Order: sequence, then C-alpha cells, then structure tokens
Amino acid sequence: MFSVILYGRNDSHGYNLHKRAAISFNALAEVMSDPDDEILFVDYNTPDDHPTFPEAIHDTLTDKAKKVMRIFRVRPDQHAHLRSKTHLVALEAQSRNVALRRSNPRNRWILYTNTDMLLVPRNEQESLSDILGRLADGFYQVPRFEIPEMLWEAAFDRRDPAGNLAKLRDWAVRFHLNQVVHNYMPMKYDALGDFQAALREDMFAIHGFDESMILGWHCDSNLAARLALYRGRVDTLIDKVFGYHCDHTRVAAANNKGRATRMNDQDQFIWNVASPYVPAQAETWGWPDVGIEELRLDRDTSYERFTAGLASTIEPSTVPFTTTSLEWQLFEDLTYDLPHTLPFVCDQVVTFPRTTAIMLAATRADFLEGFAKAWKAMGFTGPLLVPTECEGLPSDLEGVVRASFEELLPRADLFIFEFGLSTQTASEPVRAGRVMAPIDKKRLKVVERLFKRAAVTEEETRPAARRVPRRFIGVNVIYNKFWTAFTDYVGANINPFCSQVLAGLPRQDESMKGKVLRFRARHAL
Amino acid sequence: MPPEGAEQHYRNGLLSMRRGDADGALQEFDKALVRHPGLADAVVARAELLDGLGRWQEAQHEYERARRLWSEMPPGPPDRRYLFRRRGDFAFEIESYELVRSNVRNKVLPQLAYGNAQLLRGRPKEALDSYERALRVKPNLPEVLALKGEALSAMRRYDEAIELFNRVLAIQPVDAETLSARGIAHMALGKLAEANEDWRRQLELLPPMQSAARACAAMRRANYDVAFHAFGLALAKEPRNPYWLLYRLTAGRLIGAPLDPIVLPAEPHWPTPLLALRAGQATEQQVLAAAESSNRRVEALFQLGVVALAGNPAAARGYWSEIVERGAPSLIEFAAARNELVRLGA
Repeated sequence: MFSVILYGRNDSHGYNLHKRAAISFNALAEVMSDPDDEILFVDYNTPDDHPTFPEAIHDTLTDKAKKVMRIFRVRPDQHAHLRSKTHLVALEAQSRNVALRRSNPRNRWILYTNTDMLLVPRNEQESLSDILGRLADGFYQVPRFEIPEMLWEAAFDRRDPAGNLAKLRDWAVRFHLNQVVHNYMPMKYDALGDFQAALREDMFAIHGFDESMILGWHCDSNLAARLALYRGRVDTLIDKVFGYHCDHTRVAAANNKGRATRMNDQDQFIWNVASPYVPAQAETWGWPDVGIEELRLDRDTSYERFTAGLASTIEPSTVPFTTTSLEWQLFEDLTYDLPHTLPFVCDQVVTFPRTTAIMLAATRADFLEGFAKAWKAMGFTGPLLVPTECEGLPSDLEGVVRASFEELLPRADLFIFEFGLSTQTASEPVRAGRVMAPIDKKRLKVVERLFKRAAVTEEETRPAARRVPRRFIGVNVIYNKFWTAFTDYVGANINPFCSQVLAGLPRQDESMKGKVLRFRARHAL
Repeated sequence: MPPEGAEQHYRNGLLSMRRGDADGALQEFDKALVRHPGLADAVVARAELLDGLGRWQEAQHEYERARRLWSEMPPGPPDRRYLFRRRGDFAFEIESYELVRSNVRNKVLPQLAYGNAQLLRGRPKEALDSYERALRVKPNLPEVLALKGEALSAMRRYDEAIELFNRVLAIQPVDAETLSARGIAHMALGKLAEANEDWRRQLELLPPMQSAARACAAMRRANYDVAFHAFGLALAKEPRNPYWLLYRLTAGRLIGAPLDPIVLPAEPHWPTPLLALRAGQATEQQVLAAAESSNRRVEALFQLGVVALAGNPAAARGYWSEIVERGAPSLIEFAAARNELVRLGA
C-alpha cells in the first residue's frame, strides 16, 4: 500500500539520535499492515568502513521493523561529485529520490517523513495501511505535534512501539501536546516535511524532489508547492492520524546554525515555483542508472556475512586463551596470532561494497590463504589483487589476481599491507623473542616499499571513475617496528594492540618531514 | 460553479474561524451548505471546526462527506495541462492564496496558484489578471506564459493564446502540455491540420505509461486505432473509470474492432446513460434528458453521432455539427467531431 521514505547517515546528529530513530522506525513499522508496505531508508554518505545507520542500531529494532526495512546505501564516492557544491554531508532530495525510484511499484502511496516521527492512528483499530487504502487520490498532510525531549527520552521503550503509541495517546491529553500550527498555503501546516503523503504515480510525474536543492532546508516546502500546483489541493488527514515529533532541540542539528544557517533560497524554491515539474532532471532524478546497494536487516546481514567468512577459514579455539605481549624488548618480534587477527581484518572490510577490488601485499602465505577464503565467504565478488613482487605467496587461489604492483595499483579500491614473518609457523609461540630470518627481512622490505609507494601515489593512481581516497589497512603494525612506518603515511587512530590492525586514509603531511618521507617513498630510497 | 452566496458565506466562515469565533463560523458554513450542499470545501472546514471542538464523531462524518463529494467530481482530461485534471471547488484555494498574495508580495507562486483556482472556477478574467501579475515579477517565464495562454483560450481569445503558446514552444519545444493547449486553440479556429499536428507531436512525447493521456490525445485527432489500444491500457489501470470504457467502445466502433458486451456501472450517474445508449438500453431522448449541462450535451451528441454513423451518416453529421457550433473547444468530443465532419465531407 505505501512506502515510507526516510534518509540519514551514520553520524552524530545530536546525542540521542539513535534512540529517537529506533523509536520512530519501530513505530512506523507498527502501523503497517499490508504485505507490500516498506520502510525505505537511504543511508547517504556514511563512510565506507562504517555500517549503515540502521545496521548500527539494529539490535534496538523490532523484528517487524527489520522485516519491512530496505536500506539503500549511497557511498561517499557516489556523493563525491556534489561535495564541492554543498556544506552538507547528507542530501535530502537525492536521498529521497534514490528511494522513490526503487520503491515497490505495487504501492500506491509514498509517505515522506523523518526518523524522529511517530504516527498515531486516531482509531486504534486502524493501521496506516488501512487509512491510506481507503483514501482517494490526492496530496495529504497532517500537522506535527511536539513531544518534549525528556518525555520520549525518559519514558519510551525503543522496542515497545505499541506501548509508546499508547503513551502518546495519553500524553496528548494530559500534557496538551496537540497544537495544530497552520501555515501559509501551500504549506498547510508548519513542519510539513514530517508527513507528506503523495501518490507514487504523481511523484514520478513531477520528477521527484528537486535535486538542485543541495544546501538544506525547504525541500519539503518545495515539494508541497509543486504537488499543490499539480493536484490543486492540499488535503488533510488530521481526522485519521496524528503525527508526533520527538523534539531534539537541546543539541542543534548538524544543519542548524541558528541565524547563520545556510539554506536553499526560499524565493527560488518556494515562492517563485512556477511548475510542478523539474524537466531538467526528468531522466536523471533518483539516479536510475547508478548501482545502489540494497541491504536488509532480516537476511544476509553484515554479521551473517562476517561469521560466514570467518567460519570458512578459522576453527574455534581449543584453549581458554592465548597470550602475546607488547613489552618493548619484543619490538622487533613480528610474530602474531593469525586466527586471532583475521576477525579484526575482516571487520575492517565487511562494510565495503561487495564489488571492491582489494590489493593485498603480504609476507605470510597463510594470511593470504585465510583472508582469501574469508573474502569469498563474506560474499565479496571483487578480486584480490596480489602483486607479483610479493614472493612466496600462493598464486592459484580462487579470486586472486597476480600481476605487477604498478599494474594492479590503479585497479585497487582498498589496500591491505600485512607485516608478518613469512617463516612463522602455525604452532610456534607468538611474541616470544623470535628473530627474523633473512628471507623474512627481504619480503618485509618489499611489502614496506610497496606500501609507501602506494600511500604516496594514492591520488594519482586512483581508478579513473573513483573520486574519494582509498583506505589503507595495516596488519600487525601496532607496537612493533612498522608502527611508525605505517602511521607516517596513513592517518590511523591509536588502536589497542590486541586488535593488531590499523587503518586510515593516506596522510597529507605538509611539514618538511612529511615531504621528505613522500619523496623517499616515491623514489624508494 | 457554486452559487455566489454560498461562496461568500464560506469565506465569512473562514474569517470567523480565524478570529476564533467557532459558533459564527459554523453558522456561516451551514448557510453556505444550505445554498450549495455540494460545496466540499465548506464541509471539510466545518469538520475541522467540529473536530477542534471535541465533536470528533460528528466531524468524522463530515470529513468523509467532503471526501465523497470531491471523489464524485469528474476529473479533467489527462492529456491537458496539469491544472485541468483536478477535482474540487477551489473555494479554499482562492481564499487562501488571496491571503498569501497580499502578504507574500511580488512572488510568482501565490499569483499562479490563485490564478489556477480562478481559472478552474470558470473565471478566466481573474486568472488572466493574476498570471499577468506573476509575469510582472518574472517576465517571460514560460510556465506562466503558458498559463496566460490557457486563460486567453478560455476567454476565446485564441489568436493571442496561440501567440503565447508559440513563444513557450520556441523555448520548450518538448512541452507536451502546451502542444495540447495550442492544438485546442487551433481547433477552435478551425485550423484542423495545425491542431492535429500539435496532438501528433504531443502523442510522440507522451511516455507509454501515460496511457490515458495518450488515448485522449489520439481521440482528439480522431486516431481511433491508437485511441482504442491506449484506452484499453488505461482501462486496465483504472477499471472503474467509465469514460475510458465509453471512449474505448467509441474508438472500437469507429474502427470496426470486435467489442465485448457492455456491463453497465452500478452507479446511475453520468456518463452511465451514455454507456446505456451504447448498450441499447437508453433512447436518444433519455440520454439528452440526462445531459444536464452543455458539456454533457456535447458528450451525448457525440455518442449519438457514433451510433448513427453506420446507418444514417446524415444524422451523424447533424449531431456533430451541433457540437462544433455550440460546444467548448477544449472538449475531446469537439475535436473528434470536427475531424469526423471532415471525413464525412462536411
């Protein structure tokens, strides 16, 4: 019957974002009763190494919310062409149009709202699907009522949407919450963007949201203006449903800088709107030709992929714990526990697109073998690019492409550089004072040289279609001799030794030291 | 168009509402509805008022009544400009946008929205004035020029309308809605070739998913093969739309396509009498008696001509000639009849 369209990003949009979003997702799912109903969440420009926003809070969502939710992930690289034109990191019009294009064609209605809204049918026996199912064609709004921040923070249970809706019915009366704020037409009510129901067919006819609105604010009013022209009337659903907004004004939203807020031009996008249509984007709105990843929370989740990957390559531990040490005298000892390390490496990659091509320069054959199995079992379809300069590694593994480093460099989307000892065996103790063999030194030198060269030439060797920097993952680079080498070139956080892994983007160090390092790396001095 | 008295009471009711005088507002809405019981805008305003007073049960009934009234209003032809496809009284819009344009000055949208509502209420002069005000803000804006052309066309100032449509199409040659509008103006002036060429081009531009719009455009230019197929698609999408059934039967008959038996809709209201005529269950006198407005009479005459054509072409010519003499050029039947008369050598 209807597709709810929401958008967001996995970032910190106020300290209580996660709570209000979970409340909202669960409440929206609660009022759905048609098998075609869906919540479409566009996760816009979340960094590649982060899970999407709904994935990050999945444990607080009801089974029903997980079942009806489809997540469309717009990657930073897909946003990059707009980055220079806006100060915002998440774009509403683009997000909502990406979802609209991919919405269930069997659904008659599209409902635009936000991740802090609860919709309460006035008749408790009716679902929103029932209400919309009986409604004549049109464009409908409802007024937005505010819930004081402490009320929803303190009293709502994220996983009890029915209870939350019941509380709202009570609070509405007890605390006089229901105040209708009228507005100039065509914005029938204030904060109209929190409930705009339009026919899917109408939204396609008017070419979706206006994607030239990239400075934030007024996208909802622009849509109202255009749909009001198109439909002639703006109808109310106040008799059927009340919309409640989880007030979150203690901390200003990211796009709210008070009087200094930058926003889309009101005159251009509201008061001087002259047509329902946006012909300039008639063929392109919603990015119909762009491959947008779709994720689900009820199947094939990142957790399921992660565990499948590791199950394919490591056996469960047979001992209660293993040991290692970060004592300084062991600084030169590069042994590490592979079964313990692989989960942390897989953790670094599992959120990337499945088509990612990853360069893997390593010293240990068992690392490559183990990671290659996990990579495939995690569902990745992109190749593992292994430079021929890295000797002693198997070349007959499925999905592995061997070629020269220079040849592979412009094909890689992501890098792993592993700094271990090629002579380490599976049974030997870790960090017990092991000395490097000459062949270890030789192979480490190759990996180090390739790493530095890849880091300093990252921008110039980037694949032609790619617009954002590539990420570097260092394996076994904490509290050993490669810690400094890795962090000289990659802006990595300080991670616990136990995780074995550092990751980040190439550093842009403009100091004299940085320039010298880059020069040396480029020319392999 | 509702009686003026009804509209004035409706407006008085809105003013009372804004002043917080709920009782006064209710009285005014009641008066409006006595004069014009079908004024859905007054019904819904009354509903909101009752709802706000805590009389939700009464209000619910009124909300539903308003929605029923709106849904019973016939939508306009889908091949025309967006504003002509709407249903409503637009009394609320006229009042609201009047308020907006007096407060948000020198902007396009309030003038446009106000003008559109007036045009739909059959007041093209007021619409024209509003569009001209919008053009003073943004001269030469093609969207507003096109609407001004529509207002002129509604005032039967077809030459001026065509001039404006030409300007718009020079800027936006793929504007299918303006091609439709220019076709109507051309047809009103008896320039059949030009009109049919505009609708041919419009048909080219309309995407296949807009089957109803394609069907109507084809019907205007009496291209019944295309119309028959497209109305079939439109009917599949909207099986309860009686006009798509009627027009498909019409196109089918005129091209000699085999047709299914006609199942009459349960609702007796217009255009069911026309379907009854086609099913042989109504006479000419019954159909003409049921046609309570000039536009319905045109629809009836057209169908009478279709039924008569095979056996009595002279009678068909007579029906269709009356359409061309008295009908509104914006009607699908006007264009189709004019094209048919040419085929008949009239």
